[in-house]
Amino acid sequence: MINTFNDILAAAKQGGPKRLAIPAPTAADVSLAAAAATAGLAIPCFAGDAGAIAVLAAATTLREGDYELWEEKDPHRSLARSLSAVRSGAADILLQGGISAADFAAVLQDRQEGLGRKGVTVSYASLYQLRKRDKLILVTDTFLNNRPTLVEKQQILANALGLARLLGIETPKVAILAAIEQVNPGIPSTLDAAILAKMGDRRQFGKAMVEGPLDMDCALSQAAAGRKGLQSPVTGNADVYLVPEIETGHLLAEALVFFGEMQTVGAVLGTAKPALLHLPFVTHDNRLTEIALASLLVGNGGGNG
Amino acid sequence: MIRSLSDIKRLAGEKGPKKIAVLAPEDEEFMLAVKKSWEMGYIEPVLIGNEGKIAQAAQKVSFDLAPFEKIAGGELQGISDLGIKMLFDGTAPIAGKGQISTSYIYRSIIREEARAASGMTVSVMTFWEIPGSDHLIAFTDSGVNINPDLNAKREIIKNAVFVYHLLGYPRPKIAVLSGQREVGGKLSSYEDYEALRAAAAAGEFGSCEIVAATSFTEIFLGGRQNPMDYSRLKEAELPHIFLVPCLDMGNIICKLDLFLDVNRSSLVATSRGPVCIPARSDFSDVIVQQIAMCVVLADRMGKEVQ
Repeated sequence: MINTFNDILAAAKQGGPKRLAIPAPTAADVSLAAAAATAGLAIPCFAGDAGAIAVLAAATTLREGDYELWEEKDPHRSLARSLSAVRSGAADILLQGGISAADFAAVLQDRQEGLGRKGVTVSYASLYQLRKRDKLILVTDTFLNNRPTLVEKQQILANALGLARLLGIETPKVAILAAIEQVNPGIPSTLDAAILAKMGDRRQFGKAMVEGPLDMDCALSQAAAGRKGLQSPVTGNADVYLVPEIETGHLLAEALVFFGEMQTVGAVLGTAKPALLHLPFVTHDNRLTEIALASLLVGNGGGNG
Repeated sequence: MIRSLSDIKRLAGEKGPKKIAVLAPEDEEFMLAVKKSWEMGYIEPVLIGNEGKIAQAAQKVSFDLAPFEKIAGGELQGISDLGIKMLFDGTAPIAGKGQISTSYIYRSIIREEARAASGMTVSVMTFWEIPGSDHLIAFTDSGVNINPDLNAKREIIKNAVFVYHLLGYPRPKIAVLSGQREVGGKLSSYEDYEALRAAAAAGEFGSCEIVAATSFTEIFLGGRQNPMDYSRLKEAELPHIFLVPCLDMGNIICKLDLFLDVNRSSLVATSRGPVCIPARSDFSDVIVQQIAMCVVLADRMGKEVQ
């Protein structure tokens, strides 16, 4: 079972290096790719201005032969080249590189030309390493979907469960978050949560314990939940937290980092092949763990459950 | 200036006891909080609700109710209406929620505000005391408005600025939070931020400032392009007030105290005084803290407003 970021790194190294397609890489991307190569996680494939990239690579531990260079001076063409490599299997993981997050996200969600898949919602999960014990928690969706419908939430949850199981959590415990723990027709998130929980009861998510709606105190504390008359193995020990929409998801992801000083990494889920977005509050070191996590997703359908 | 919950406790001891209309204190944990608050000299409770249940709860925590006024009440809306009326007619400068749903309390407050023609919107402020920070921060509205529109947000800001002025902050800084990020287009919460920032600059909310940041990343790192550095997080200058985009986000974030190294305290500031509204899951120490904050607010409102 994978309980820490170090466990993720160790597991990914066992699988051998993966080919990273990196369009229009910045100096930070080249440095990251070098670290990934040194760690035995990656063989970088840079698409961009070959001369400029070679200069950046020379300033790292990378040597000629450690990486591939695809000459594509135009950033959009470098993205197309990288995408094509990943789609064809010539590369394993698509990195954002120097492409804007908006353009890159569009590629991830494009079901015709990009990495999107028919009938599957592409989502983003933030993973956190708890500070007081060895346990990883997943919060989703924290970046990609603004106001997911119930059907999209169902898929976002399925995506997250796929990742949780990949991490070795046999029966993931899921907290479907809302403002209150009671089902209130005036608060739509509580209705969606109740439906998802019922789906969970009926095994529509496979082997998982799905509880909702849960407000944060019930999700985080069994004692607090008990005060509200709520008994569930999920309370106080959830593996997956599904948020109602992006205002909650993105700000919660940030709050755990900035107020909680928790280390975080992220994963794009539901794509045909693994891909990595760069969120501003993920450190350089943790981006290495993101590569390791994406490596674990290789061959696992982009983490879709 | 009140900088911490310790300041609040000290001041509550100095300014108390204040009369508090306690609505349905029929739960052991809440009654224990009333007992502790009484023993610390914060409050003089007036207990409203089912006499048998109140007596039973008091017995469980060995609290002798003989010295206190008790008012028999039946159905919950009636109990709530009575207690909130006591707040608005000046009989009690504070009201406090026991085992009663907040929806009853909010309904009572809205009715009384309408009668008083105060124009005040009901909103909840949840304060956090963060170790190392030189001031309390507050999330609002963390309890009432499900998806506040721009006008509702204006009123929520006015309430929060009013409270921060009472706490001794002459020009509180406000962050209008939004899930706006590099993808997903422009969110309505971000459009609200732009409108509210302009309104604040024009003086609509009195002495305050809306900061140029809508995410915690911008607040802590100074911008979304700046590198993440955990070692510098404690240096960040935090706004005082965080206007949340919706109830889901506000309530979920404010209860992270169970996960993080922060202390939490919530209240509703009405035009006539504070209402203590602990969550049904709160334990007595947290409730005592909330009562203390209401005592201090009531004292300051009594002097500066009424």
